[in-house]
Parts: sequence; C-alpha cells; structure tokens
Amino acid sequence: MIPQNTLSLIVGPNGAGKTTLLETILGLLKPKRGTVKIFGYDMREKAQFVRKMCSYLPQDFMKSSDEPFLVKEVVAMGIASNRDFGRVKEEDWKMVYKALELVGMLEFSERPIGKLSGGQQQKVMLARALVRKPKLLLLDEPFSSLDKDSRKFISEDLLPRLIDDGCTIIMVSHDVAFRPKICDLIVKMEFGRIIEVIEI
Amino acid sequence: MKLSTIAFTMAHAALAGSALSLLLGLNYLTIGILFAVLTAIILGPLSDMLRISLDTASMTLFSIYNALTFIFLILSPGPTLSSEKVGGILWGSILAITPTYLIILVTISIIYVMILHIFWGRISSILFDPRLAEAEGVNVKFYTYILLILAGIAIVFTLKITGGFLVFSLLFIPSATSIQLSRSLKGMILISSIIGGLSSTVGIMISFILNLPVGSCIVIGAATIFAVTSIASSIIRSRTIECESIEVES
Repeated sequence: MIPQNTLSLIVGPNGAGKTTLLETILGLLKPKRGTVKIFGYDMREKAQFVRKMCSYLPQDFMKSSDEPFLVKEVVAMGIASNRDFGRVKEEDWKMVYKALELVGMLEFSERPIGKLSGGQQQKVMLARALVRKPKLLLLDEPFSSLDKDSRKFISEDLLPRLIDDGCTIIMVSHDVAFRPKICDLIVKMEFGRIIEVIEI
Repeated sequence: MKLSTIAFTMAHAALAGSALSLLLGLNYLTIGILFAVLTAIILGPLSDMLRISLDTASMTLFSIYNALTFIFLILSPGPTLSSEKVGGILWGSILAITPTYLIILVTISIIYVMILHIFWGRISSILFDPRLAEAEGVNVKFYTYILLILAGIAIVFTLKITGGFLVFSLLFIPSATSIQLSRSLKGMILISSIIGGLSSTVGIMISFILNLPVGSCIVIGAATIFAVTSIASSIIRSRTIECESIEVES
C-alpha cells in the first residue's frame, strides 16, 4: 500500500525487477498473480482511464539523431493523450512552454529532440511527464543522465513541490546511496521480488 | 516503431495475395488488400504469442509470402510467368492505370490526409514512442491498426504501378530521402510526397524513352535523389566543435 502524497523509492541492483514493477503498476505488464489498484481502480479493468491521471518517465528515453520531432512537440504529446482526438489548444501550448522553462529547456523548444544530449533529452521527457499534471508520477532512473545541479534541483526543489501539490511519486533507482530527502518509503528488490519495505 | 519492417512484409503479403488471385481467378485488389490487412492485424499478436520480436515475425512471414507467391504463380493456369497479368503484378505496368483508377488513388490520398489531420496528436505520440503513449492512456493498438490498414490499402493500389517487388521501394525511398531534408515530421510527409511524385514522373519518362519497365525506372529515379541528398546532407550536417588544438600527452 503506497500512501497518497508521498515519495516511494524502489531500489535494487540491475535486473532486480524495478522497471518491471513500474510497468506492472501501470498495467503495461500483467502480474502473474495478485492485482494492482490505483486510486481504487483495478488496473485489469480501468488501465486506460487511470493512465490518463499518471505520468511515466521511462529509463530508455534516448532517441537517435534522425528523430524528427521537435522538443515542444514531444512535450505537447503528454497533453495530447488527455485531449479529444489528441488536439492541443492554445492554453496547452502555454503549459508546454512553462514545463520546459521549469526544467531549463525552454531555449531548446524548437530543436529536434534527437539533436540534444542524453541529459537534455531526459529533461525534456521530465517536462513531458510534468505537463500532464499527474496524480501519480512514475520515474524510472530519472537522474541517470543528469548533472549534479540538475539532480539537486529535481530532488530538493521540484519533487517536494509536486508532493505538496497532491502528487504521489514512485521512483526507481539502482543507486542505493542516492535518495531524495523527502523519501517516505523505500522498497528493496532483488531477483524479481520485494525483499524489504522500510517506512521512514 | 518498426513500421517500415511491417510495411515491407505487408507489401509482400499483397504480392502473395495477388498471385493467389491469379490462381483462383479472383479480383487481385480484393485478395491483395485482404492479405496485407490480415498481415497487419496478425503480426502483433503473433509476435506476442510466440514471444519473438516483431522483426523476426515480419521477416519470417516475408519469406513465407515470397515462397507462396512463386507457388501460386507456378500453379496458375496458362503460360504463367510470361503472361501479361503476372507481369503486371510482378513488375507493374503504367498502361494498366485508367482514369477510374486515378480517381480511386486521389480519393484514398484525401482520406489519408484527413485521418492524419484528425488524429495527428495521438498518431504522432505513437510514432515517437508507442510504449510511452500506451503508458499515457493512448489506445495504441487501435491507432496502429488504422495506420497499418491504410498502409496495406496504399500498398495494394501502388502494386499496379510498380509491381510487387518494387512497391516497398517506392514507399520507403522517398521517406528515407525526406529525413535528410526536413527536421519535422509534417515536413517529411510533405517532402516524401513531392519526391514520390517527382521520381514517378521522371521514371515514367525514362521508361518511355529507353523502353524499360516503369517500376524499375521510378525506383532508380527515387534512389538517385536519395543518394544525392544523403551525400549533401552528410557534408552539411557533420558534427564539429570549435577548438584551438587537442593534444593527448603520453
């Protein structure tokens, strides 16, 4: 049971099943047994509906240099999935630019995403996750390509603000030594199993 | 997305379907579309069920379709490989294009543009990253099937012009060229349409002048444009940094 407005950290070595757990929570993978409920909804029945309230920052976000989409278009896709026919309106674009500004990527909005560095692409994908104003945010190794200052800003400033605004965060990290200060729950995984849950 | 691999397999499915129509004496458009669309529908579930990658499933089906094409052609009644109908399916024939056929092609193009315009927000998200689109609540399967069915219909109708062996080339090469020339997907769609039209016109003219197969001339024309733009693009877009000197001390 993950409480509302908290940050839970899933830790474990490579291949422990952390990403599999995140994708199972989102209903992208089916559990062998048991059920996943988000906001009271069973993910076997209401996955598509619930996902509209969630954001996901995947681990494998890197795009090749010939990727044709512009940075602003990639962020707008986050909103489009919650709009009728995927139409993005004028006020949505304002939200796109605001999200890009928040992660320090506004000046790159007209660039193709494939032309950016790994860290810059990760920030764009974070902006895409944030622009949806999610109630549940799933982050898979969100700091893997970021520099020290960006890590500090996200873990000490951005994530606490999101939780204050009513968001629940589940974050995956293979780096046990690094954990955000606001962490409420640590879930330790090994060989595809949860071996320990620590409440802080 | 591995749409190009899927489209490649669908092109050969259409070819096998058309060959089967010769054997059974049926309309080649109907059977060709049926084969292409069924391939689009079964590919995903097939790769899930057998736990193999979509690429592996596509390439296996492609091989099967090639084998079936030759079996159907050999079993067809009459002097098969030299007949005009078989030639039309394998190599294409511009003489088979009638005004009615042209009207159908234009209508299909208009429908495509309308569907892309209406669903662009969702389709672009799927093209960028289908897994992430699914995680954000997009019905990925539904829109992917729409895209693939549209591609299947386009492939079958193009079959008559370029022939089964070259239909994929006409779809693929202009798209590959447009990647070199545009930075946005909408620009790429526009440019690939222009290059497709340009290479078709030039190909038809060369085919008339040199008395060569139309499909082959069109594809060689498209490939020439691709080669020129690729070379120019690699020169213009080379990645460089500015520095005084770089030294590595031993």
